[in-house]
Amino acid sequence: MSAAISTPAQAGKFAASSARAVLWLLRARAILVLVLLLVFFTSMSPTFLTTNNISILAKHVAISAILAIGMSFVVLAGGIDLSVGSVAGLGGMIAGYVLTQGIIIGGSIYYPPVVVAVLLTFAICLVVGFLNGWLISKAGVAPFIATLGTLYIARGAALLISNGKTFPNLAGLSSRGNTGFDLLGQSFLLGLPVSVWIMFLLFAAAAILAAKTPFGRHVYAVGGNERAARLAGIRVPRVKLMTYLFSAFCAALVGLIIASQLEAAHPATGESFELNAIAAVVLGGTSLMGGRGSVVGSLIGAFVIGVLADGLVMLGVSEFWQIVIKGVVIVMAVAVDQLQSRLQSKFLPYLSQASGEVGN
Amino acid sequence: MSEPQVDVILEACNMVKRYPGTIALNDVTFRAHRNKVNVLIGENGAGKSTLMRVLAGVESADQGCIYLNGSAIAVRSPLEASTHGIAIVHQELSVLPNLDLSENIFAGRELVKSGVFVDRGSQDVQSYAALERLRKPMPVKTQAARLSLGARQIVELARTLAHGAKVLILDEPTSALSMAEVDSLFRVIDELKQSGVTIIYISHRLHELLHLGDHFTVLRSGRVVGEAPRADVSRDWIVERMSGRVNAAADRDHIKPSKSATVLSVERLSLAASSGDEAAQAPVHDVSFKVRQGEILGVYGLLGSGRTELVEALAGCRKKSAGMIRLHEKIVRIESVPDAMNAGIMLVPEDRQRDGLIPDLTIRENMTMAATRGLFLNRTKETARAKQLVKDLNIAARNLELPVTTLSGGNQQKVLLARCLMCSPSVLLLDEPTRGVDVGAKAEIYRILRHLASQGMSILFTSSEIEETRALADRVIVLCQGGIAAEFADSEVTDEALFAAASPTVGTTATPLSGMPAL
Repeated sequence: MSAAISTPAQAGKFAASSARAVLWLLRARAILVLVLLLVFFTSMSPTFLTTNNISILAKHVAISAILAIGMSFVVLAGGIDLSVGSVAGLGGMIAGYVLTQGIIIGGSIYYPPVVVAVLLTFAICLVVGFLNGWLISKAGVAPFIATLGTLYIARGAALLISNGKTFPNLAGLSSRGNTGFDLLGQSFLLGLPVSVWIMFLLFAAAAILAAKTPFGRHVYAVGGNERAARLAGIRVPRVKLMTYLFSAFCAALVGLIIASQLEAAHPATGESFELNAIAAVVLGGTSLMGGRGSVVGSLIGAFVIGVLADGLVMLGVSEFWQIVIKGVVIVMAVAVDQLQSRLQSKFLPYLSQASGEVGN
Repeated sequence: MSEPQVDVILEACNMVKRYPGTIALNDVTFRAHRNKVNVLIGENGAGKSTLMRVLAGVESADQGCIYLNGSAIAVRSPLEASTHGIAIVHQELSVLPNLDLSENIFAGRELVKSGVFVDRGSQDVQSYAALERLRKPMPVKTQAARLSLGARQIVELARTLAHGAKVLILDEPTSALSMAEVDSLFRVIDELKQSGVTIIYISHRLHELLHLGDHFTVLRSGRVVGEAPRADVSRDWIVERMSGRVNAAADRDHIKPSKSATVLSVERLSLAASSGDEAAQAPVHDVSFKVRQGEILGVYGLLGSGRTELVEALAGCRKKSAGMIRLHEKIVRIESVPDAMNAGIMLVPEDRQRDGLIPDLTIRENMTMAATRGLFLNRTKETARAKQLVKDLNIAARNLELPVTTLSGGNQQKVLLARCLMCSPSVLLLDEPTRGVDVGAKAEIYRILRHLASQGMSILFTSSEIEETRALADRVIVLCQGGIAAEFADSEVTDEALFAAASPTVGTTATPLSGMPAL
């Protein structure tokens, strides 16, 4: 038998198939980890897989998943957006202000309907996204620094709006004609929270955007090799700007959902959310160097973080240990990612040979 | 005494080095003779640079042993190589422009006093001594940014000497130098040889090698195909071994385009100097030329002549400061790459890895990159067009969904060519079209370009290789220090005339080159 193995063709085939298997396992690691976590927590706590619990879990996941989906494009294009948590907080405060304080037009206070409040929130948050994109693609500021700056600016603005106070009672008054804001975060559709539907819709749209449109291709190209992308006629600044706008859009959405869930807007909402989003993106196998990764990975990454957090709570693990465990998982994920890319470049000769044999 | 038992100082035995998709070194054994100029010669992509990077510890080989003075040594890093007395001066110089000469010479190996502080005094003295040994005494406090390319090369040499190099590897040391600078470099090499330094010299300028070399090793496609002392070497001997070279000029069959319409017309084009580098002058000034339909115009120039800057300006990725570009008689504004593409001008860049390929993406995605328009991608159409071009350009890729990095250099180059062709440009620009490409693919690329020209495409390529320029161009313009130094029709061009026109200080010195065998 050893003689059979030793013929070069078979050795090559063997190497190729085992290389494929290892690489497949590494690539699918996020979903494997998710399944393992689900199995583990279900066996440890009988109430873990109840409909009610899953619904709560999905609601938690939706927040970080929506941010992670927005962050995916930024990271794929080689950037990073640290401002999303602050922008979410700012978004909630803008909606809260408009719904409870109204807009002063010509000396009298006008209470616009919910739709206007929501649109205004998006508009202002997109201004922050535009500022990020402009600073990075036109002014040449490093993404880390530019978005660190807007992190502070947006958080400060959120605090300034209310002088640091919370806007309560966002459900609105029918006498003012601005009721309905609570629907976004609290209502259900076909048994699932609306925010979870929003997450899945956004995911579907983002997945199509990434895989099926020239814009998505350009994002990967810019992250993979910016100089080459430019020379291939891709308008690199525009692509980068779009990624930051999309990220700010997602952040605004999260700010609105949280404000609606709580029926209150608090200026500190969203603190350190950007780190959760980045962690989800990295867990999902997207390279922080850009150019490599996927939107579905980020979604799975968000689920891993969410399941881990809620599961540990149900098991009664102390909050402090939860933080440590989350850190360990993230560090391990990045280490495995490095392993994958090293193995991939090592095995590629075999894979290309093997594909040659198979033909196309 | 026993003369044939040669004195080998450095020996690399059975070296193997694989890269994804290609074998750069395939069981290569290379010997460097003590106190000699050991010439290593081969086409682009033959494995010369890889072998030298392995010897200098920049990369590690997959298999093989290195012996210094008969005992095996490990060379795992450039620092380790330098402790063994092996040093390399790369083709691309690594002088730090923001530091002065003595800081450069001791960069990374600073002399210290009291265990902590940099000993500027000793550094300056030793730096000056090293420069004097090279017959180039320069004030050691000069900032490196102020130096010419030739002077920077001297600084690199001084750096290796100051660290006591016994084996000195020079990778294409003359590619950026003027004739006078080449002369003085040769004198320096001679003196180094006398003073007990072994030189390994890489170049593909045959006349230099024949002038300078004591011992010759020829590489082709990662194998040693010839080894001989100078006495047994002739130009024919080298060419015979290097080639598999197709005589590309022979199958020139398309109609002379001398009567066709002018497609691209460049008038008084100038580019502003890039800021930051004080030594930089305007890279291109006052350049005018025309390219006709179906014509292949060669732009010959040495490194730093402005050839790359010229094509980059035409392709929209470099701002011009003055001048006009006409396409089919109409003035076009080219401020960006998309502007150039819309006008029908596309560039295949010189440095594929840096400016061309997107390594994480597949072969298909790389090919279609410039042609992605509209709202949604059409996978079926993309695959069909990519397959068609794979067939047309004879790209050795059976699975288009593998990363583009699995291809060999030649096939990667063809992928970039395919990327341009998908946009059907009317003017195709190529910067060093066959850099790092093996001989077979080189001939194929020439054939493809000639075919495209015969179909009416106008092609402008730049090259620093005389052979390539002569093989491919219908007409040649020579760039030197940013201006057009000469223009030749295909029939009147000679190697000597090209080289002379491209060298900045031609005629001012009596050169030892003039006595050399003609190419």
